[in-house]
Amino acid sequence: MRDRSLFQRMFEPPSLTEMAPASRLLTYAILILWAIVVLFPLYWVFITSFKLPFQVNDGPDFIPFVDYQPSGHAWRYIFVELGNDTLRPYMNSVIIALTSTVLAVTIGSLAAYALVRIQYNVKIGTVAGFIVLLTATVFAITRFGTPWHITAVIALALFFFFATSFGRHFKRSLGNNDILFWIISNRILPPVVAVLPIYLMFQRVGLLDTHVAMIATYMAVNLPIVVWLMRDFFAGIPIDLEESAEIDGASRIRIFATIVLPLARPGLAATFLLVLILAWNEYLLALFISTADAQTMPLLVAAQNATRGPQWWYMSVLIVIMIAPIILMTILLQKHIARGLMVGAVKG
Amino acid sequence: MRVQLKDIRKSYGSLEVVKGLNLDIAEGEFLVLLGESGCGKSTALRMIAGLETITQGSLMIGDRDVTEVLPKYRNVAMVFQSYALYPHMTVAENIGYPLKLQKKPKDELKKAVLAAAAKVHLEDYLERMPRQLSGGQRQRVALARAMVRTPSVFLMDEPLSNLDAKLRGVMRAELKRLQAELGVTTVYVTHDQIEAMTLAHRVAVMDAGVLQQVAPPKEIYDNPATRFVARFIGSPAMNIVTGSVADGTVAVRDGSVPLERFAPRERVSFGFRPEDCNLVAPEDGMLKARIFSTEMTGNETIVTCAIGEDHVVVRMDKDFDMEADELVGIDVNPEKARLFDYDSGERVHA
Ligand SMILES: Nc1ncnc2c1ncn2[C@@H]1O[C@H](COP(=O)(O)OP(=O)(O)O)[C@@H](O)[C@H]1O
Ligand SMILES: [Mg+2]
Repeated sequence: MRDRSLFQRMFEPPSLTEMAPASRLLTYAILILWAIVVLFPLYWVFITSFKLPFQVNDGPDFIPFVDYQPSGHAWRYIFVELGNDTLRPYMNSVIIALTSTVLAVTIGSLAAYALVRIQYNVKIGTVAGFIVLLTATVFAITRFGTPWHITAVIALALFFFFATSFGRHFKRSLGNNDILFWIISNRILPPVVAVLPIYLMFQRVGLLDTHVAMIATYMAVNLPIVVWLMRDFFAGIPIDLEESAEIDGASRIRIFATIVLPLARPGLAATFLLVLILAWNEYLLALFISTADAQTMPLLVAAQNATRGPQWWYMSVLIVIMIAPIILMTILLQKHIARGLMVGAVKG
Repeated sequence: MRVQLKDIRKSYGSLEVVKGLNLDIAEGEFLVLLGESGCGKSTALRMIAGLETITQGSLMIGDRDVTEVLPKYRNVAMVFQSYALYPHMTVAENIGYPLKLQKKPKDELKKAVLAAAAKVHLEDYLERMPRQLSGGQRQRVALARAMVRTPSVFLMDEPLSNLDAKLRGVMRAELKRLQAELGVTTVYVTHDQIEAMTLAHRVAVMDAGVLQQVAPPKEIYDNPATRFVARFIGSPAMNIVTGSVADGTVAVRDGSVPLERFAPRERVSFGFRPEDCNLVAPEDGMLKARIFSTEMTGNETIVTCAIGEDHVVVRMDKDFDMEADELVGIDVNPEKARLFDYDSGERVHA
């Protein structure tokens, strides 16, 4: 095998873990091409934010200082002339995205952990009983005007009576996988289906165009994703570790905090980032729920397209300042998304 | 501390996997639960730890009824087959974890961790992560974590089964010395009869969730209570030949062995160990056989003989030289032969 022809050297991989020179060349060519496809728009947005309107219209100009003279007019307009009108949506975006993400990741992780470790067994009869009683309650309140708190208490009492007596005799029951499917199915429908009910709901309770409404909505929309992603991460933690900690004297909360969470850190970081990006970029729900006070960045960017035709230069500035925190977050969380944490836990 | 299991049962749904376990383990005793894979040993151990609920029966540790006590209040220490090291903690943090939960002062904790690490020769590895250790070292960390506090009982579930044969021998010796030194009651689960025989003060043999016999290793070997125990303990296993008892002899196919004082029986399982019989000339032997194969192990020769369809194993010295298919006779030492009821497998006494 010492004498390999040039053809073999080019096209045969030297070992299972290495690539042949020819395929390596091809691979890098494709990767570089794709990197250009991905990075060019970012570059374009960045340089456009320093262009004057006529430069945009006369373009295309690719290289600042060579093709055109950069100007800070758009940045001045956005930060000085608009001032608070930029800052407010920006802060709204930060508050709403961060809060809803923290809440969704916290609640969703707890739910995912429970779905991994605790075996649920919900009788179908009990579920059916709940639905029937809920329908009856709504009907009674809307049609006969019964006071809602009394109706609710009666319905709850009936439900517990039913669940602990007849409900037990049903054979078919739902398990953890059914519960998970139900949670994920909430995300299968496009959000536009839920937009009107959500709008009416917040209108009714007078919370339209508030942070609370936005945070609650984003949290609810992103919860299924968190549960779905985190379940796999928790399932990857050997139960031996938790049993060992239990015998060593740890309480359940303690086990979750000192064993489970540290080991799920890569999953938590990745999930946090994904959900944060989803919340940060969300447009459709924000369009309905917020109008002025709770308006977020995506709405502001879209608004630049409005009355005077597309204002590319202003839009570019907004996009640049919108991308910045996400890139920062990604760099910060990057080192936590490392793999291979579990090595050394079990077996020799 | 003394550990008492009183008629303990465990069912998963309608499947009963531990069927009435009675054990009285003395303070400081090393008891080994031995049985084939799937016989319910781990389940029994996990019930003592509190990781599985006890379906029926009661469990006492010391003077305390702990049947329904949560694991963290039982003060037991357990070594898992998988070691279950916390991969995100250093060796020192792993060993110190139980003490940290007890809120021990820092300097005391450090001293205890060092002492425990020293017992298993890990002093130089305290700052490493588990992933940077070899299998044997991980095993030692798991041991040290169990020994760092003074538990009422050590529980070990096949702690050596993931090590290679040589290391297993070394760790076995260390484990025995450590247990004697610490004097803590130990319940040790294994499917390896050599481990059981070498480590235990008493061996408890289980089969399909039923306790077969509890006795010191020598007693288990010499006087197995059932045919299962007889076959399970010893390597090569005890020979079992089916026959009948009449007129002070056991008659089997192609021969008979004089065995006085036994009542006549239609069918009986006649057992004798490979070292309690001898190969002689075909016309002199109590049983007539044909050599099936010979294996020279270095210090002895294991000779497998065929009596009809049955195989009988005989231990001969290393110079034994006969070819396969030669005819031989087998002489059995009647004093060492054991009889078992053919149907129930229970030992039949004279
Ligand atoms: N959680 C469980 N649910 C149902 N059956 C189980 C469960 N755990 C163990 N078993 C069954 O109980 C029997 C004994 O298991 P185990 O105690 O682990 O055996 P071993 O003696 O190999 O340690 C096995 O047949 C196993 O299939
Ligand atoms: Mg087992």
